[in-house]
Amino acid sequence: MYFLGDYTERSMGLSSANIANEGIQFCIFDSRRGQHEGQELDKILFFYPSECPYSSQLSVIGLCEGIITFTRIFSPEAACEVIEAERHSHVFYEAEPDIWMIMVVEKSKYAESVWRSEALRGVLKEIHSLFVMFHGSLKTLIDKQPSGEFARTHLYYFFTDYLTDFTIGKKIQLPSFRECLKERGTVQMLTISRDMAIEIQSLVTVLGSPSGANTIYNSLILFQDLLVSTTLSPDDTANLFAYCVMRLSPHALSSSLSVNSWSYIRKSKSASNVSTVSAVCAALDGSHGTSHDASPGEQPRTVNVPRPLQRDKWSKGGDGFLVTDVWGVEVGTSLPRTPTLWLQQTHERTYLCVYQYKNLTIVLLIPVSSLINGEQGIALVKNQLLENVSQKIVNIEEKLSRGWGGENAYHVSGYRYLLLDGDRNISRASPPAKVTTLSKDSLLALNKLREEVDLEKKRTMLDNPEHEKDFEACIRAKNNAWVIAKISRGRELYMALEKASETLMFASDAVEKFSNRYCEGAFSLD
Amino acid sequence: MDSDPDTNGAPEPQLSEDELRLSYLSLEDSRHVPQGVRLERNGSLPADFYDAREDIKPDDVEASPPRMVTGGREGSSKGKIGLIEGLEMDGEAPPSPSSSGYAGERGSSGGSSGTVEAADGGERVLHDDWDKGKQRIDEDDTSASWRKRKKHFFVLSHSGKPIFSRYGDEHKLAGFSATLQAIISFVENGGDRIKFVRAGRHQVVFLVKGPIYLVCISCTEEPYEALRGQLELLYGQILVILTKSIDRCFVKNPKFDMAPLLGGTDAVFSSLIHSFGWNPATFLHAYTCLPLAYSTRQAAVAILQDVADSGVLFAILMCRHKVVSLVGAQKASLHPDDMLLLSNFILSTESFRTSEAFSPICLPHYNSMAFLYAYVHYLDVDTYLALLSTNSEGFYHLKECRIQIESVLVKSNVLCEVQKSILDGGLHVEDLPVDSSLRSGLPCPHPSQGRAGPSSMSDIGGPAGLWHFIYRSINLDQYVSSEFSSPLNSSRLHKRLYRAYQKLYVSMHDRQIGPHKTQFRRDENYVLLCWITQDFELYAAFDPLADKALAIKTCNRVCQWVRDLENEIFLFGGSPFSW
Repeated sequence: MYFLGDYTERSMGLSSANIANEGIQFCIFDSRRGQHEGQELDKILFFYPSECPYSSQLSVIGLCEGIITFTRIFSPEAACEVIEAERHSHVFYEAEPDIWMIMVVEKSKYAESVWRSEALRGVLKEIHSLFVMFHGSLKTLIDKQPSGEFARTHLYYFFTDYLTDFTIGKKIQLPSFRECLKERGTVQMLTISRDMAIEIQSLVTVLGSPSGANTIYNSLILFQDLLVSTTLSPDDTANLFAYCVMRLSPHALSSSLSVNSWSYIRKSKSASNVSTVSAVCAALDGSHGTSHDASPGEQPRTVNVPRPLQRDKWSKGGDGFLVTDVWGVEVGTSLPRTPTLWLQQTHERTYLCVYQYKNLTIVLLIPVSSLINGEQGIALVKNQLLENVSQKIVNIEEKLSRGWGGENAYHVSGYRYLLLDGDRNISRASPPAKVTTLSKDSLLALNKLREEVDLEKKRTMLDNPEHEKDFEACIRAKNNAWVIAKISRGRELYMALEKASETLMFASDAVEKFSNRYCEGAFSLD
Repeated sequence: MDSDPDTNGAPEPQLSEDELRLSYLSLEDSRHVPQGVRLERNGSLPADFYDAREDIKPDDVEASPPRMVTGGREGSSKGKIGLIEGLEMDGEAPPSPSSSGYAGERGSSGGSSGTVEAADGGERVLHDDWDKGKQRIDEDDTSASWRKRKKHFFVLSHSGKPIFSRYGDEHKLAGFSATLQAIISFVENGGDRIKFVRAGRHQVVFLVKGPIYLVCISCTEEPYEALRGQLELLYGQILVILTKSIDRCFVKNPKFDMAPLLGGTDAVFSSLIHSFGWNPATFLHAYTCLPLAYSTRQAAVAILQDVADSGVLFAILMCRHKVVSLVGAQKASLHPDDMLLLSNFILSTESFRTSEAFSPICLPHYNSMAFLYAYVHYLDVDTYLALLSTNSEGFYHLKECRIQIESVLVKSNVLCEVQKSILDGGLHVEDLPVDSSLRSGLPCPHPSQGRAGPSSMSDIGGPAGLWHFIYRSINLDQYVSSEFSSPLNSSRLHKRLYRAYQKLYVSMHDRQIGPHKTQFRRDENYVLLCWITQDFELYAAFDPLADKALAIKTCNRVCQWVRDLENEIFLFGGSPFSW
């Protein structure tokens, strides 16, 4: 009557255990498609691992669609988020209306299978928002080509390239409890002096209004992996910032084969990635079937799909601008085509121009509509930029480098913390190397507390999105560490104090001191 | 948590009787019904059942013998077997099945609650006052009102047959029940077991107990662990009535329909579900005592001890859901959850109030496979005595014990003291000594005596904005909870606080790394403080604007206060409670 109809019957007896020997599956499906019996495969837009038999893929979708339908009986306004079973977690994200992204994790395949489901959902959200930034929404792609092949091909390459960042050896690493002092999808800022801020503002002004153009260009400036300035909306900033850190920053360019900017684990094991990446690439380069009806494992072949997340594809040109051939070459030339992306706020397509000087990365976004003559126009803008602001950039880079406190610049002795400003997608945290000094139990306790706060936050959002609830929890764990969560006016502070005295008052004082000394101004963009 | 009868060291319940009971339940062979037990007719029982009835006329003519009450819902053809063996007072005629007083019959005849959140959100002062029995029987899964209910509970069999639904008629919910079954078995077929599903405010929690599936669908913000605990209790309540031997019926016949066996017990389950919203025992796994002078309680303990020595397994004297006194035979220990389920069963079954009764009953933590036999008798409107024995023929012995106990209780004035304690209430936060040093060393009056008016530090509640507390003694498996006072003066606020405590409890008792030692939590409703040591757990609620340092000080005072009063608010040495 409700659901689980055909799929259920067909996949009964199929163990999901034999589907994914890696312990993880990703699935994207469009529940509007494949409504008729026998056509269910048409729902599937992406499935990882692609070798997974179709019957198993359908089994996953069958369960997910069934649960989605079931929960709508009681919760028509809020979609299904998670199915938690003893051995598997299914994390749901309704990326676009009726288009679902599902992550299925097999717990026994992970030594440390404790995570926040919000952190896992964060991965899905990030993939989707980056995808939309480069390719537009899935709905648009499907509308463009109703057979869905276009969307499938884009998703396949994008997802596979994205996952290389999470792979150690042959295994995809998930954000576990050890990353409870990090927040995916947020931007990390560089704290700068007032004088510096004025200087940067003047650079931004010049970048934004080049002579001869009547449009204002948006820009993003990073120092190393930290944001210095942005003219974009918080969401667009977060997406582009994530991309810069993944693929464009000096750090990403120099260690392009090894750096996963999010995983603490990965930094130490970077060498092992090489094999994976090349394995994935080899798989992609091999011959693939073109039809989705082919047997699993064969993927659509295409030549014209840009792969913005493909590794090692960006390099620094002689003029200081970063170049890539990922977007193909200009017709009739061997010149690489300038990448483009979509801005979420303005629904505007822009060229992505990246200039890098030492530690400084400048991202200039030129609206496609503002340039009539394409690549020629871009070259002009680039030249102008070099003429007008290259000295400014040198000066700023020099000053920032001089004042830069290094990797541990934002370490606060005695504290392990994460500060979040959800409204503006900004976070600041203890350096990863310092977080690893925390004991497993402290991290588990903090992870658990964050999960509780996630639920409270979600309820507040559902009850009254305008109302910001203040909340404070201060726990002394069994191992005597204090784990603390504090939400105040939309800002969140999470903290673990391991060498603190045993009184609650001491822990409260420590939070108070931290808040007074470090939280004011740390969040401000201007 | 000991369900193995061997390690309990108590007389092992006879397996033959257990078998007998089961065969009785499944109506396959009624010839094993014990002598002295007369079975009342029921419209839907098979013919051979009545034949068997003819064979077991009572041979005792002096007093009316124990009687298996087989109740039928009035005006309903649905067969059901009541599980109460009622015994008439001397000289009275045996009541007809329809007068067995099952609250379930009363409540099932029609919805008596008008609002969607009848049992959850009603403003009721007395817990006894709510609508017992099934709610909104006319609803089903197609009704908007049914879908909007805040908290559903379902019990179904592994073949998808409905067994119990908190709201709506189980029969109309057959399709919905099949859907739940499909979800559970779909996941099971993948070699896994589903725990919960979350969507927005809603959480669907699953619990699989052999052939019995339990599901809760809730938007009450209670954490998964709490809802799961409630399903465990719901399952425990089924075992209280049927024992775990019910599983065998499913082995014999996978499509076995269990619902008729629970017929007439709707009130028991509804009352248990209601208690999830007001009774902290449901998540603390501890019981609470009625405050009494030490000597009064000791007098009650002494007389119960006498009967325990004469072959009674457990002798329990309770006032509503609070324990007055409790004694177990040597080495027999009673789990707090079993006490909760037992007292819920007794309190929610009307027939116990009208006459003394002898009923088979299972204590899941004691021995989930076998029945004990409970003699239940109300000594006054609130106070009842439950004597548990392994002997199905023990009625007359237990009756004599009761007569003996009752006369001692009356003589020693215990029952009057109990009534007085009910009137006085328990601990009031306003009475918390502001300076504990003044108190220590002095004899403590009854907690409610000599109250010195509200503290000067706050106009409402206790000192430093203290609104309420629960103190749980870990060694005793007992807790004491302060009385509600202003500003917590509606049942909606009481429930909200209990749920906040419940959340705090779950947060403190993390399975992987818990229990934590201390927790301070502040939101728009409260400041909550929790403190767990080897000996006790303290949960305290303060005004949300309370000062942290003062709140901590006040918690220390509460602990001292409770220790000063422990002889009156806790039961000591009644029997060994160690497992």
